[in-house]
Amino acid sequence: MMHRRTLAAALATMLLAAGCTTTGTGTTPRQDAEGPAELLFWNTGSDEQAAAMQVAADRYKELHQDVTIKVQAIAWDDGHAKVLTAATSRSGPDIVSGGLSWGIEFGELGGMIDLNGYDVSQAKQQTRPELWNSITSPGGAVYGIPMDMTLYVFYYRPDLLQKAGVGAPPATWAELFTAVDKLKASGVPTPLVEEWGTFEWLPWFNYLKQAGGSLYSDDCTQVTINSEQAVLATTTWADQYRKYGVPKATVDVGAGLAKGEYAMAIGASYLAGGFDSGQPELKGKWQTAPLPTGPAGAGSFVGGKIVGAMSYTEHPQAAADFVKWLYTDEAVEILQREVFTRGGELYISPRPELLAKANASDNLRQTLQTTLNSVTGPPNCKGWETSGAEVSKRLQAVVNDNADPRTALAEAAAVMQGNLG
Amino acid sequence: MTTALIEKPSTAQPAGAGKRARWRRAVPGYVMLLPFAGLFAGFLVWPLLNALYFAFTDFNGVRPPSWVGLENFRRLWFEDPRFRTGLVNSLIYVSCTVTLTTAAALALALAFRGTSWRDRVLRTIFFLPSVTSTIAVMLIWRWIFSGERFGLANTVLSWFGADPVSWLSTPHWTIPLLVVMAVWGGCGYGMVIFVSGLNAIPEELYEAGRLDGASAWQQFCYITLPQLKPVTTYVVITGLIGAFQVFEAVYIVFRAVSSVGGVQDSGLMLVPYLYDMGFTKFQLGYASAIAWTLFLIIFVISMIQLRVTRALREL
Repeated sequence: MMHRRTLAAALATMLLAAGCTTTGTGTTPRQDAEGPAELLFWNTGSDEQAAAMQVAADRYKELHQDVTIKVQAIAWDDGHAKVLTAATSRSGPDIVSGGLSWGIEFGELGGMIDLNGYDVSQAKQQTRPELWNSITSPGGAVYGIPMDMTLYVFYYRPDLLQKAGVGAPPATWAELFTAVDKLKASGVPTPLVEEWGTFEWLPWFNYLKQAGGSLYSDDCTQVTINSEQAVLATTTWADQYRKYGVPKATVDVGAGLAKGEYAMAIGASYLAGGFDSGQPELKGKWQTAPLPTGPAGAGSFVGGKIVGAMSYTEHPQAAADFVKWLYTDEAVEILQREVFTRGGELYISPRPELLAKANASDNLRQTLQTTLNSVTGPPNCKGWETSGAEVSKRLQAVVNDNADPRTALAEAAAVMQGNLG
Repeated sequence: MTTALIEKPSTAQPAGAGKRARWRRAVPGYVMLLPFAGLFAGFLVWPLLNALYFAFTDFNGVRPPSWVGLENFRRLWFEDPRFRTGLVNSLIYVSCTVTLTTAAALALALAFRGTSWRDRVLRTIFFLPSVTSTIAVMLIWRWIFSGERFGLANTVLSWFGADPVSWLSTPHWTIPLLVVMAVWGGCGYGMVIFVSGLNAIPEELYEAGRLDGASAWQQFCYITLPQLKPVTTYVVITGLIGAFQVFEAVYIVFRAVSSVGGVQDSGLMLVPYLYDMGFTKFQLGYASAIAWTLFLIIFVISMIQLRVTRALREL
């Protein structure tokens, strides 16, 4: 019996020692392998978007015979974890696209290549500075360059507004809430809804910019969320839910607009593509406008996707070249056409001057053009990725628990300062 | 006679030959166990040991882990308010879920323990949630508790003229909704176990009880419940382990309104928190510390439960 116990203990010790031998992985990018390059591209998004990207990749192959790129779609829901797993195991795709903040996240972990070593100055010149700033790490590294943009758009039903005595889409906060009251009185059950980060910090961020506030100082040394502007923004944002009946959960904007249950929506630009195809009865009945302005004027959040190369790729040069090629007129034209043809969606290139060629109505194109002049991307300051969810909780407490906005913002500031280091 | 025939050669054989014979008989069994043992070691023992090692390191998944000793556990147990929220939520959720699921399962088992077609069909219906795709079920719950007017719960409310409720984005509704989902999904499984336990109770005990003038309630209290102790222990402990490991309900249902944990972390449990720290915030060392803490909690509670049950049995 004793002998068996000794044997079991020795086996357990051996296994424990073996378990502890994991040494992790290196972070140095590989050198370029010789010969033709076969690259795998994980494109976060729908199958249709991946198919559109494959068309662009095939065109790239025609121009670069020795580079073959296979595009696979990965879903937003688990894309983040999948890319982390790839970075950890140092196997998987050569190129990835994903959330605007993913580049800095995975890059700082050592999972992505700093594209500064592959001359991305042309792309930097062509991208809006607010967007470029968001994808540049505090140390100056660029682990992924913007691939597309998502903007906030104000959607509305002109007929319902007119019926309620609202002549034009609201241009200011005051006009917005007056319109909500009038629409409610005219029988619209839920006059205003929000979509894209509903009840989280994203829509609040629009109010923050419109009130003239910010999250951090420009040099990322100070947290500035606990300002008077932020208090005003938070109070106004919270009043949407408390006084004006904006739903706190994500809603089907298209269906609600089509049924006349909603008359106005603050939502992402990607929603526009699905209205006519998903709700044929809505065709011709909806319009767009820039978000209503606040005391400091216009302002809204800009999101989108980055595209970059994984640090373990055997073909970093080819991967970086393809990433940069996505900024060419030809690539943008292909993506604008194919994304619209295959999924009915609007592709907004990070090159704002090409917006004029996007598959969109004049009204929507004009809205996007105007919106672009006052956008701000997510902060690139240290710790924001961790802080974002914590900020949302403090904001939600203002609505759900009637917490004092100043106290809530002070708590959020403390969390952000702690994560800023 | 048969015994004598078997025992005779074994006593006549030398000790070494007996051992060899036993070994020869055992080898095929061990060989057949090897595939399972390999998988068990590779996919359970090895990851467990790795997780234990990572729990003492600062590991982000990409850079090599660095040894930090007990720092992760110190931070987790003494400094982390989210862990405390997750732990308190988990304890409330587990106690409510296990109690209600066990009670509902026993009630269903008592009601449908028979062999009639009606009982069989109803048992099948109640058991169905246990074998239905969890993700599909959770998506249906998400629809039921949708904040929009077309959500089933809000549709029912509208029949009574009530305004729609933002079920998923109102923090005080989070745990009750999670408990409802868990009880609905788990009572069928518990019912099947209880039915087998009930049918194993000797009928003579009830006959003796009836002869002594015991009422139905007295028979239930003094015969059924004591006889079901081992089965109840099994149902409670497996239910407890499952409840502590709740993930899909939090992750899928509340995904519609918030990031991991529900609005204001009102539904944050230990496993969703573990996932959040590991796969959203890349703190895999810290996530491993949470995993081992979860293991310790379940282990300790299960041991207490077993001891209490044993003590009750000996009374």
